[in-house]
Amino acid sequence: MEEEAEAEEQQRFSYQQRLKAAVHYTVGCLCEEVALDKEMQFSKQTIAAISEMTFRQCENFAKDLEMFARHAKRSTINTEDVKLLARRSNSLLKYITEKSEEIAQINLERKTKKKKKLEDENKNLNEPSEAGADESES
Amino acid sequence: MADHSTHREPTPRTLLRRVLDTADPRTPRRRRSARVGAQRALLETPSSRRLRSQTKMTAGGNPHGTKSSGRLVHAQASGHLEEQTPRTLLKNILLTAPESSILKPKSVVKPVPAPQVVPPSRRESSRGSPELQLPEPEPPTTLVPALLAPGRRKQRLRLSVFQQGVDQELPVSQEPRGNADASSLTSSLNLTFATPLQPQSVQRPGLARRPATRRAVDLGAFLQDLRDTSLASPSDIQRSPVITLPTDIVLEETQPFSQPLVGRSPGMRLSLPLPSHMRAKDTERATSRKTRSSGPAPRNSSPGKPAQFLAGKAEEVNALALGFPNTSSSISGPGVEPLQDGVGEEAEKRMEEEEKGLSLSEVKEATGARGPSGVEEPEGYMEVTEAEGSLGAVEAEEPEGSSEDEETSGRTASPELVSSTPEFLQPKQLHQLLEPAPPPGAAILSSEPLEPVSARLHPRPRAIGPRPRQDPYKTGLSHYAKLFSFYAKMPMEKKALEIVEKCLDKYFRHLCDDLEAFAAHAGRRTIKPEDLELLMRRQGLVTDQVSLHVLVERNLPLEYRQLLIPCAFSGNSVFPAQ
Repeated sequence: MEEEAEAEEQQRFSYQQRLKAAVHYTVGCLCEEVALDKEMQFSKQTIAAISEMTFRQCENFAKDLEMFARHAKRSTINTEDVKLLARRSNSLLKYITEKSEEIAQINLERKTKKKKKLEDENKNLNEPSEAGADESES
Repeated sequence: MADHSTHREPTPRTLLRRVLDTADPRTPRRRRSARVGAQRALLETPSSRRLRSQTKMTAGGNPHGTKSSGRLVHAQASGHLEEQTPRTLLKNILLTAPESSILKPKSVVKPVPAPQVVPPSRRESSRGSPELQLPEPEPPTTLVPALLAPGRRKQRLRLSVFQQGVDQELPVSQEPRGNADASSLTSSLNLTFATPLQPQSVQRPGLARRPATRRAVDLGAFLQDLRDTSLASPSDIQRSPVITLPTDIVLEETQPFSQPLVGRSPGMRLSLPLPSHMRAKDTERATSRKTRSSGPAPRNSSPGKPAQFLAGKAEEVNALALGFPNTSSSISGPGVEPLQDGVGEEAEKRMEEEEKGLSLSEVKEATGARGPSGVEEPEGYMEVTEAEGSLGAVEAEEPEGSSEDEETSGRTASPELVSSTPEFLQPKQLHQLLEPAPPPGAAILSSEPLEPVSARLHPRPRAIGPRPRQDPYKTGLSHYAKLFSFYAKMPMEKKALEIVEKCLDKYFRHLCDDLEAFAAHAGRRTIKPEDLELLMRRQGLVTDQVSLHVLVERNLPLEYRQLLIPCAFSGNSVFPAQ
């Protein structure tokens, strides 16, 4: 049992480390881009600090998102939760809301497209019975 | 000395006199046996006492006393001191000290017998001590005689227990007065001799005898004094607030005790601290307020409207006041009545309407926020009127505030009514009060001429209506800023305090925005404890290890605990219901 717990712990830890490494790598890449852009170099410690902060903040975000979802009596995290999370920073909130609107639009378009497709197909292929079923579905 | 028959019961003085008269060189025992007739009966008890006392005394005392007594007999005949023997001294005392002087401070009287008793040979009576009073002016003796007799009895009792030498009756004579001058010297000598000791029992009769100089409390004068003092103080305080505005706000919070008397803006701030002090000063304020309200009210009668308002309000106040157990309100009743007499009845209808409107608004406010906030609002009302210049308004607040605090929520409406009406009792030159009516705080407050009031008053009135920014900010945050400065343990600049206040303001605003967002996120329009728990989670106060209930248990008093943490009760009920 203890061994299992330890093994689990180690697994989690290694998993975490891998995640951290991934984050670190991504942050490094981003910093390189910024450095090229601003013609300013980043020290390694800076990149390490940024990656560590990012990782911990992600943890916080995750916990908050879960709390928000539970607070709204949902079991799935929603875009609303994300928006609530980002409300602190105005620019970020704006960005996220725009993005979410885009996504919502896309979804709507997709849905309408699907509906049309389905309806056309049903009309073409099936008799009114299917159409009725589709209509009931839609 | 002539043997004076005791026309009264044997007093120590009489006994002592007899002793001196019948001075025998022999021992007390022998002397006792030598006595004849009537004296014996009287003497027996004192002699037995004397014996007892004498046994207590040193052995050498008796023979000495007897010897001296023998000598004293002759000395008595001569009528002047030959030797400074106890007997001679005592005799002089008897001669000189007037009986009536007993009433004089017993403390002075008693010391004489005490030292005299101690020396074994002494058989003095306490009577000797009064004689010491002789040097003092005699007139008091004339006053005293009536009280003398009962006191004497008391004294006698004590002395009999106390002293050893009372075995022979001595006639109580009025001679001492006559001989006062002659033996003043000796008495003075005796005085000096006697002063050191002061038996405790001696003092009590004196205290008991002291006439109780009590004067019936003049209520009218008392109220007048209150009025004067309260009138005086507000004027001072009114001036000071106007001087500094921002510091004032801070000052208000720190000086609740100065406020209650103030009718002006300072009093307005006191919404919260007021209740605590109200009860302490309730009756005082109430009386002064009510009397004052009646005072300025007649003045207002000249302007028609205010007077009419006052009349209507006065009626209301009376009706309400009499219904309350509040002493203040009861006092206000009679005080307000005169107003009604001088006022016409036309405006009463209007006043009633407005009163109703006001009462409605008050009720709304009361129901809206029962606790301290409820107290605040009506007080804000009152403060508005104070701003107008009515000094008594603050006092009006207090009884209402106290009544609100004291009474259960059932009485929210009525106290506020009362509070509102007293305000209107003191509108003075401010007619705007008449207008406000239904629009609860904001309208009333804005219509008032707030010029005489400091700027502080401006936000205060607005506070009542739409939750204004300035006032609650100022009142609440200054309190926290003070806490901050306290815990800083270092002196803080005012600018620093201001910045702290700003930070606190932003912080609390942020918190409240979050709460609002959380509630909206859950599709609600009301903030619930779940939202608060979420907030605390985000703050890190509530964790997986520490739950909200744990925090509640740790920090809140038991009363709140019961309200917040669901607990199972009998009958399968859980409170609070989940």
